[in-house]
Amino acid sequence: MAPTKSSLKRKASIVEAAAAAAEDHAQSDDEFGDGLLEGLLEDDSDDESDADFDDDAEAGSGDSSAEDDDLESDDIPTDGEDLEKKLTNGFGNAEEDDGPNYRIETDANGGTRYIYDEIDPAVYDTDDSDAQEPVNTIGNIPLSFYDSYPHIGYDINGKKIMRPATGEALDALLESIEVPEGWTGLTDPETGKALNLSREQLELLKRVQMNELPEEDYDPYPDTVEWFTSMEETMPLSAAPEPKRRFLPSKHEAKRVMKLVKAIREGRILPYKPPEEREREREEEEEIHYDLWAEETPRPPNVMHIPAPKPAPPGYDESYNPPPEYLPTKAERQAWEDADPEEREKEYLPQSHGSLRRTPAYDRLIYERFSRSLDLYLAPRVRKMRLHIDPASLLPKLPRPEELRPFPSIASVEYLGHDGRVRSVSIDPSGQWLASGGDDGTVRVWGLTDGKQQWQVKLSSEDPVDVVRWRPGHEATILSAAVGEDIFFMIPSIENPEVEQASRDVLDAGFGYAANAKQQTTAAGARKDGPAKWSRPGGRLEDEGVLLKATVRSSIKTIHWHRRGDFFTTVSPSGQRSAVAIHTLSKHQTQIPFRKLPGIPQAAAFSPSKPLLFVALQRSIRVYDLQRQELVKTVQPGCRWISSFDIHPAGDNLVVGSYDRRLLWHDLEMSPKPYKTMRFHEQAIRSVKFHRSYPIWADSSDDGTIQIYHGKVVNDLMEAPQIVPLKTLSGHKVKQRLGVTDIDWHPKNPWIVSAGADGSIRLWT
Amino acid sequence: MGRVKKKGDSGNAKNYITRTQAVKKLQISLPDFRKLCIWKGIFPREPRNRKKANKSSTASTTFYYAKDVQYLLHEPLLGKFREQKTLEKKISRALGRGDVTDASRLERNAARPDKTGKPRYTLDNVIRERYPTFVDALRDLDDCLSMLFLFANLPSTSTVPAKMIARCERLCLEFQHYLIKSQSVRKSFLSIKGIYYQANIQGEDILWLVPYKFNQRVVGDVDFRIMGTFVEFYMTLLGFINFRLYTSIGLKYPPKFDQAKDDEAGELGAFKLEGNHTATVPSEPAQLTNGDSEAGPDPKTQAQVDKLIQQMKETDVDGQQNETEAEKEGPTDAIDKFEPAAPGGDVLPQPIYAGNEPESLFANCTFFLSRETPRQPLEFLLRSFGCKRVGWAAVLGEGAYTTNELDPSITHQVVDRPVVQAAMEEDGDAEDNQTSQKLAPNQRVPGRIYVQPQWVWDSINDEELKRPDQYAPGAQLPPHLSPFVQPIQGAYDPTIPLEEQEPEGEALQDSEEEVDEEDKDVEDADDSLAVRKLKALSDGMDVAPSDEEDEDEVDGDDFGGFSEDEKDANEDEDDEEQAAELQEQRELEAELSGKSIKQADANPRSKAKLEARKKLAKQAKEEEEEVERAKGMLSKKKRKLFEQMQYTNNKKSTEDQKLREKRRKLEKKTAKGKA
Repeated sequence: MAPTKSSLKRKASIVEAAAAAAEDHAQSDDEFGDGLLEGLLEDDSDDESDADFDDDAEAGSGDSSAEDDDLESDDIPTDGEDLEKKLTNGFGNAEEDDGPNYRIETDANGGTRYIYDEIDPAVYDTDDSDAQEPVNTIGNIPLSFYDSYPHIGYDINGKKIMRPATGEALDALLESIEVPEGWTGLTDPETGKALNLSREQLELLKRVQMNELPEEDYDPYPDTVEWFTSMEETMPLSAAPEPKRRFLPSKHEAKRVMKLVKAIREGRILPYKPPEEREREREEEEEIHYDLWAEETPRPPNVMHIPAPKPAPPGYDESYNPPPEYLPTKAERQAWEDADPEEREKEYLPQSHGSLRRTPAYDRLIYERFSRSLDLYLAPRVRKMRLHIDPASLLPKLPRPEELRPFPSIASVEYLGHDGRVRSVSIDPSGQWLASGGDDGTVRVWGLTDGKQQWQVKLSSEDPVDVVRWRPGHEATILSAAVGEDIFFMIPSIENPEVEQASRDVLDAGFGYAANAKQQTTAAGARKDGPAKWSRPGGRLEDEGVLLKATVRSSIKTIHWHRRGDFFTTVSPSGQRSAVAIHTLSKHQTQIPFRKLPGIPQAAAFSPSKPLLFVALQRSIRVYDLQRQELVKTVQPGCRWISSFDIHPAGDNLVVGSYDRRLLWHDLEMSPKPYKTMRFHEQAIRSVKFHRSYPIWADSSDDGTIQIYHGKVVNDLMEAPQIVPLKTLSGHKVKQRLGVTDIDWHPKNPWIVSAGADGSIRLWT
Repeated sequence: MGRVKKKGDSGNAKNYITRTQAVKKLQISLPDFRKLCIWKGIFPREPRNRKKANKSSTASTTFYYAKDVQYLLHEPLLGKFREQKTLEKKISRALGRGDVTDASRLERNAARPDKTGKPRYTLDNVIRERYPTFVDALRDLDDCLSMLFLFANLPSTSTVPAKMIARCERLCLEFQHYLIKSQSVRKSFLSIKGIYYQANIQGEDILWLVPYKFNQRVVGDVDFRIMGTFVEFYMTLLGFINFRLYTSIGLKYPPKFDQAKDDEAGELGAFKLEGNHTATVPSEPAQLTNGDSEAGPDPKTQAQVDKLIQQMKETDVDGQQNETEAEKEGPTDAIDKFEPAAPGGDVLPQPIYAGNEPESLFANCTFFLSRETPRQPLEFLLRSFGCKRVGWAAVLGEGAYTTNELDPSITHQVVDRPVVQAAMEEDGDAEDNQTSQKLAPNQRVPGRIYVQPQWVWDSINDEELKRPDQYAPGAQLPPHLSPFVQPIQGAYDPTIPLEEQEPEGEALQDSEEEVDEEDKDVEDADDSLAVRKLKALSDGMDVAPSDEEDEDEVDGDDFGGFSEDEKDANEDEDDEEQAAELQEQRELEAELSGKSIKQADANPRSKAKLEARKKLAKQAKEEEEEVERAKGMLSKKKRKLFEQMQYTNNKKSTEDQKLREKRRKLEKKTAKGKA
């Protein structure tokens, strides 16, 4: 180590010398700033004082060596004297240490000024033997931060460590100086001085670089010393006798060998071949084909197996040169392009390429094949039965309407006169007169065929006339009309006097009976009000022909006469307990047959042939036996709200119209459920009616139409009734969502009268 | 009393399992399950009652037949999949440990069919199970061939290894060789998607699609892994089918393959077929079919019968055509044809003129293909229809009979280039470097027929050599029709003249339009106001005949109520009145314009037509009412069915109607152009 250290030292001094030389040079050039020069000087002094303090001998030798160096380099163009002066100056400083440590100078005012030397910390730091050159305290930061300053950091005292002269100042010198030994051109970051390496160090580096062993005389491969050899020593190391296993073949080895032998025999271990050759062999091996179906045995068909359907073969439009009619028009092309790809009917557009050389590749081919393979393994398969029949064969064979004549088809008479809606119409039993009642509170009687108004009475100025019905029977012509809670009986002055007199007798017969009847009293003795009050209507009306009035508790919506003309039933849906009432005209008597009903009654009717009473509630129709006074049957049409119903003249069939647009035919013998449900109307059905003699029936609806049906009932249990829609009669206008409110058939002819919400009445023949 | 049946123990609930359940049961990953399904031909089902099958859950799932999955449990491939899985695990573990050599050793053992195109397993047992008889396999060949021909034309990518493509190509070429040798190609069709071929092998019709020889573009979301699984199976299948087919005609399989020739685009020429010396040539193996396949009529005889029926129809239409045909055939020693004199008798298959046999259609021809024609399909088709000598330009590849265009033995040349106008003046020295073409652009070798490629296809489909003048280079080609369409009664058929297939109503409409056009002509002749008015009137009639009638009716209804006299007036009278009014107006207008003769001429004819049309419209309306009446009496279910059927029928008929309309327009245009 000693030589290296000394050499290092020497190098340091060389640098110092060089620096000093540079300083001199700079001084002579006068180019450097004062600060820089000062710093350089200070630096020098520090350096030397340190060196001196540490070991004088070395410093001396170093100096001398530096001197030697300088002397050696003869061709340095600086003056030897300068150097000498510098050196002496250094020594001078050292001598000054013994004297007073201040100088006396005169200041600007002429007074004396003591200028003390700088305190050299090294003097007091004597116990720190390791103290070396001033250490840069800037820490681990790049030196480049100081590039723009003259110093390169600070020492322990906060003094600037000045940058050793570099750059242009040195360039000239370096050009002239031979590169010193061990010069690396690197800067020691610690000191900022050039880093020089000794010859040994360089040698070491070189060896490391050349991947040689760093130590020159190290032998990595010494000859082995064979301590244990095959040669039998005269004095063996161990005295133990040779074990037996040394003489026996190894079992373990035999096992392993046998394993290998087995693997080779089984073909698991193959002789080595290069991978390419092996790959090729494998390929050839797999090309082996044989007759897979050498002994084919047909398998019975499996029911659960569904073979994949084959794609449809290409049609004409897929041709590269299709007939011109298959080419899409501009609009079709546009529609196809605008459509979402998944909604397109065909995934291609027919195109004509003209000739084969112009036909391009089809760009969706891969995608189509891909979707086909997806279909093959991903699409659920199901067997679908497809009907290959003519749809017309599904339709029932209906008789032609012409064969089922007569039925009304044309509006022949229109009766105009009512203000506002006409609510009800009725044709008298003789078929000559037509009575109508409407919102204007009047009841009018018209000549059926001539359409002229014959008679009119205003029953009320507030309430509309809800129902108008003729009393059945030819011996008297009595018209009943319901206005609010009142039922009026009138005899229009249209007939000959005898009939009129007979009618008056019928109406008056009840008064005597009512006078004879004893008054019913309650338990308290008070007079109990009957369900209805029968009285004369009063002067004006009596003059006009209205002869009798019956008042019930709530407003009446329907009137239905018994076929004999003595009884009639009224329904007032808001009447709760007394909703349905049966009146006897000959006795002026009113009875309430039902104490309680399971719903709001809508209509009631007597059976045309049997002693039965049909009461329609909202959802069901109940049939009561009047003689035995019991519930016979409940019919469930299955609609939400029954509007009206009618009973077939034979008494076994029932047709029901409902506000939810349904028309239901019930066969009472068959089941409580409807036999046929028809939905031909777009709006609620208002009324239904059977013709009394012809096998036709009709319904009217709020969509302004009347529909005529053929409904033939055979008196045979095995044969179901035949229903054929015949004709739709339209002509009434829809006003405020109301169309045809009521219809009535002519008693003998196949004519129908309809009352419209538009204020007109029509006769259809 | 028997035990109470528990819910979910039998029937739909037991017979179907969901895909998740199936995967869990088999203990494999979903991709492996997919592979198994593809190979074993297992497909999802639609259970009869979804709710029961899904145990009342409403989640939408795919169902598999439980027995199918049960059957998969014993699949040897399942074991292979598991082995593969363990190997993958080992590799990943070795890599995780950083043991690269071990990993690479294991990797070498792994079968990577997606990279090498070669699996370590074989699928022959799967094929045997799926197709117990050879005919079963042939029946499923459509998809197989389409897929393999597509893959043979794909560029190789990371997902489609080059080896797979090469193998597909080889298998396809081998199959084509069989078809040529056995001459079993029947029909072919040039579509916009590619070329369809139909072959008949052992009584089975096989139809497949070959793309045009262009670089295929991948459009849309295509998963090549799924396609690859299919291709893997199909390759094995076609290999075994090829083997069977080759041995059935006494050839050795695989045929000798010449790599050098293949490198020079020899294609079909790169294979050399060899006789199978070792095995005695077996006669056509007795066909074994499954019980379910009914023995249909022989397609060949069927085709003949079809043809005969067609001819019969033609003779019914006009006897003249038949006569001319007979005259044409007169000089040749034709076999007498037994034409049925009266309908009703059975049609017997008759012997056919020997020259018309499809196998020897091109037997006497020598073809030369110009360089712009697609060589592969033409070579294949010509050779499979008996042509022995097909030459082509040298640029088209190896294996031509001749590359010399001037070879005197050439009888037909297939050309697909337009006639060049300016080139006539050029001197012939301008040499084409690419082809070493020796002929000037428009020069023709005398004694040779020049045709466009479509001629070959049309000849094949009609089983006779078509007239070459229609297919001459530069000529407007006749439309190329698909030979696979079966004529349906009432559907539009482009081969039949329009008059024979349009319904009465359309014909009337058509003639109406004609009248209109005449009117238009008149208008052009003298531009008088009156005539134009008249035209407008008749136009209005055309556009909405039914509307007008409706209006009439409504009017009648409206006014019917007022007077007794009018209510009896029925529609007919109304119509007559209208016609009379029209007549009157016309007369008036004619007087105004000062020409009466022409209008008078036109009048009776147009009147008759008008009446006919009215009658038709009335009839249609009545029918419609009748249907509406009857429909009301149907139950809801039947009505829905009826409406659905009518919907599809209407859709078809409107399509046909559109086609007829277009054709009518086109025909009129051409007629006008001629006039």
